[in-house]
Amino acid sequence: MKKITIDPITRLEGHGKIEIFLNDAGAVENVYFQVPELRGFEKFCEGRLAEDLPQITQRICGVCPEAHHMASTKCLDDLFHVDPPSPAKKLRELFYSAFYVTDHTTHFYILGGPDFVMGPEAPVAERNIIGVINKVGLELGGAVIKARMQNHHIIHMLGGRAVHPVFGLPGGISKGLNEEERKEVEQIAKDSVEFAKLSLKVFDDIVLKNKEYVDMILSDAYTHRTYYMGLVDEKNKVNFYDGKVRVVDPDGKEFAKFSPREYLDHIAEHVEPWSYIKFPFLKKIGWKGFVDGKDSGVYRVAPLARLNAADGMATPLAQEAYEKMYSTLGGKPVHHTLAMHWARLVELLYAAERLLELSKDPEITSPNIRTIPTATPDEGVGIVEAPRGTLIHHYTTDDKGIIKKANLIVATVGNSAAVNMSVKKAAMALIQPGKKITEGLLNRIEMAWRPYDLCLACATHSLPGQAPMEVIIYNSKGEVVERLKR
Amino acid sequence: MGKRQKILILGIGNPLLSDDGAGICVAARLKEELDRPDVTVLETATAGLSLLDFLTGYDKAIIIDAIQTVGGTPGQIYKLTPEAFDTAEHITSPHGIDFRTALELGHKLGLNLPSEIIVYAIEAADVTTFSEKCTTPVRKAISACVNMILQELENNNKRQQ
Repeated sequence: MKKITIDPITRLEGHGKIEIFLNDAGAVENVYFQVPELRGFEKFCEGRLAEDLPQITQRICGVCPEAHHMASTKCLDDLFHVDPPSPAKKLRELFYSAFYVTDHTTHFYILGGPDFVMGPEAPVAERNIIGVINKVGLELGGAVIKARMQNHHIIHMLGGRAVHPVFGLPGGISKGLNEEERKEVEQIAKDSVEFAKLSLKVFDDIVLKNKEYVDMILSDAYTHRTYYMGLVDEKNKVNFYDGKVRVVDPDGKEFAKFSPREYLDHIAEHVEPWSYIKFPFLKKIGWKGFVDGKDSGVYRVAPLARLNAADGMATPLAQEAYEKMYSTLGGKPVHHTLAMHWARLVELLYAAERLLELSKDPEITSPNIRTIPTATPDEGVGIVEAPRGTLIHHYTTDDKGIIKKANLIVATVGNSAAVNMSVKKAAMALIQPGKKITEGLLNRIEMAWRPYDLCLACATHSLPGQAPMEVIIYNSKGEVVERLKR
Repeated sequence: MGKRQKILILGIGNPLLSDDGAGICVAARLKEELDRPDVTVLETATAGLSLLDFLTGYDKAIIIDAIQTVGGTPGQIYKLTPEAFDTAEHITSPHGIDFRTALELGHKLGLNLPSEIIVYAIEAADVTTFSEKCTTPVRKAISACVNMILQELENNNKRQQ
């Protein structure tokens, strides 16, 4: 086969690009998933006050600012050696749970859901939320908007203002809840729990009762046996806000459990010449390439990985949903990538239940929401689970709290190796010599990356903007055979 | 004289990523220049479904954002309506939905959306380098765009009288 050198600089700005290379026989030889990197972040942060980072970093991404804000805030706690009072931690988690409801709802109904509800072969024009509503009903569309709007309201309530909320501070938060606000949150949480239950029912009715979809979920084309990573609490239950990072092996056995400051002992990053995105892997296993298995350091993050890495969910309805998922799919861990959509809905339910729990906590209206730091800052690490995966912020400062170095391992990056593998495997299974490459076929390849809910939003949220994902197929002479833009 | 239109001016963008902040810069300048009870100026970094939250309740909306087109020259300003996106390639963030679909959804759900939406899009040179400054051609376009919108509001006023 002709060797083709891919020059990342020729990528289109703001794109994620999947390039598929065919050999002479017309079968898939190799697949590359390229992501444009945002340049100069470290330099941008140098010389700034560490306390500004929760504001700065939340603007990196227009879609999940709350995740960066929270990771940054926890990093500041560590940097300034300060422990926030208990009500502050609970309020942070309440804020964060509301955020999870909005984010997981958005992903499922806009991105993940349409593939299943409309079917992977449905025309592109129907494979979106309008198609879903046409099929499932206007009421559901209204419920989606309501769930997002209500939970955004909670975020604004605590954030203090609508644009660029100020919430997290080293040692606590800037605003709490009074009783009137608390009652509002409690009602919104109750509505959110009902909405989450409804979403699981939609999934059950449309996906699980359809044998073709279940077969697709279980098919080998969409399966990878990897390690899994996620934050867990002291009981090893999934927690988005705090805890230790737990890693399980492809058989589901605990492989590692570490606190934020130890992350560099466990995670290293591999670099490839054809993409700006780095590929994190487990240091103690080593980088063996884009391969599955116990001997490969590749790991996965985000909903399915979190559920795999934990021993259960901390709230009752979500625990029920968790058990149902695993018993349906053949036990733990589940390696089927498409199950990420299901896991996301289990998490949606947990986030809503946790929001409700916290809204009823006796401490939640306490005015004791800040411990003022007194120690000299030097270095700190903060880790949260962003909806898209384990998110790490690491800052080093001088003794006045001015940033000398800032390092971020952004959630999606934890899945970057797996995404390549998933797309390649799906492409190899679906593109056969002599078989016509249809739009439906290309969509099934795209279905291999969609469950990961990649955060390319950093580069692509502008509206109107570039298509953020492009699939290009080259024959063995390097000529473009097919191109799909979304 | 009829009731005055409620107008929203919404600047969209990321102020940390060079030219991606163009929409926000235009909105910020307009906020300084305008003092009318019928005009609201807002800035946001979100798009997709969240846009519906912003647009609801206004008669007319002017949205400003950065854009990158094939063969475009940085600093060019396009004045577009939602129909323009009918012929464009499917534009979707992996997280959000494209502008057209968001509006279609809003109408379908009976949300009170503006009857007139105009998009001012400024061709960007760089949207991937962290910087709070826009590139030179875009800075010039920002000034021009501010004037274009002020003129549009003036014309709107005259038409309403």
